[in-house]
Amino acid sequence: MMGSRGTSAVLSRAARMRQKLQSALEASALEIEDVSYQHAGHATVKDNTNETHFNIRVVSSKFEGQSLVKRHRMVYGLLTDELNSGLHAISIVAKTPTESGS
Amino acid sequence: MATSSSVGASAAAASLRLPPRASSFSSSTLRFPLRRPAKSRALAVSAFRKLSEASPVPIPPEPAQPLPDEEALPPKPGVYGVYDPAGDLQFVGISRNVRASVEGHRRKVPADLCASVKVAIADEETPDRTVLTNAWKSWLEEHITATGKAPPGNVAGNYTWVGPPQRPPDLRLTPGRHVQLTVPLEQLIDRLVKDNKVVAFIKGSRSAPQCGFSQRVVGILEAHGVDFVTVDVLDEEHNNGLRETLKTYSNWPTFPQVFVGGELVGGCDIISSMAEKGELAPLFQK
Repeated sequence: MMGSRGTSAVLSRAARMRQKLQSALEASALEIEDVSYQHAGHATVKDNTNETHFNIRVVSSKFEGQSLVKRHRMVYGLLTDELNSGLHAISIVAKTPTESGS
Repeated sequence: MATSSSVGASAAAASLRLPPRASSFSSSTLRFPLRRPAKSRALAVSAFRKLSEASPVPIPPEPAQPLPDEEALPPKPGVYGVYDPAGDLQFVGISRNVRASVEGHRRKVPADLCASVKVAIADEETPDRTVLTNAWKSWLEEHITATGKAPPGNVAGNYTWVGPPQRPPDLRLTPGRHVQLTVPLEQLIDRLVKDNKVVAFIKGSRSAPQCGFSQRVVGILEAHGVDFVTVDVLDEEHNNGLRETLKTYSNWPTFPQVFVGGELVGGCDIISSMAEKGELAPLFQK
């Protein structure tokens, strides 16, 4: 996992994402994996291959009763700033506690 | 060439590649046998003559020479097998008009592959596709059992008898950057997703997606045999400004994006997950 929470003045993107998702979604599980290396040389990434692609797995009771599209929109909405500043793609698995079996 | 024969070959190619596991088919060549799950007619195959029971009809080598009469080579639906001069089966196809398909083959295929043809015509005037496919499978199986190999023309990737699978071109929102739009781009998007049942906005073209997620989405849609159109969001000439406008329109910040019936279904994650759970097929049937 990237970043050590809050210890440095400039947080990594992964750490910022973690903070935003954790606090807004009250996630009971949250995994953030930087997979940018898999997309080095990607057509639209060009020279910036640092912290551009992430896999996110998040479990939150706030997803209860929400369609997949809505859940993904909730996650995207929380990460708007990141998406506007170089975050290129995130792969999202968004489940409720019941669905995740935890 | 009659399109039905190319369908036959595509199906041939696909099934020779990977016979029984329909769910793992990913190529567009799969469409024919899988698109409509069989209105099954259990006895369909028995209505056709077996390959070994059909007698060969000679094909004159010169295209200027007429084909044998319609009695021997009827302009009707059926299954046919083309032999080379040495008597080796080169290709098995099905067609809505066997005569027309054979005529097409002899114009396109080198004469040393096209010396005679065996034909079995369907009993019905307009047989179900499944009936023809079953007859085709049964002829291929018969030949493979007898000789241990598939006819060369039916092997995946052999484009001697039929061309490579045709993919529809990507849709373009505008004629080009030089043309002043009279309608806002947003409205063009709206019309596009409402006029087409399934639309995938992807990075790159349908035949050469430039992003793994787009590629996966195209593969999943093709495997479902659904008719869909694609729009290349990286095409700056014909879809200039589409990426930003679409993000706002759909309230979705990334690509690919798949719309069904005018509604955003999701990106690659959601499409993949729905495909795994078997939720996509019912959505397309609505």
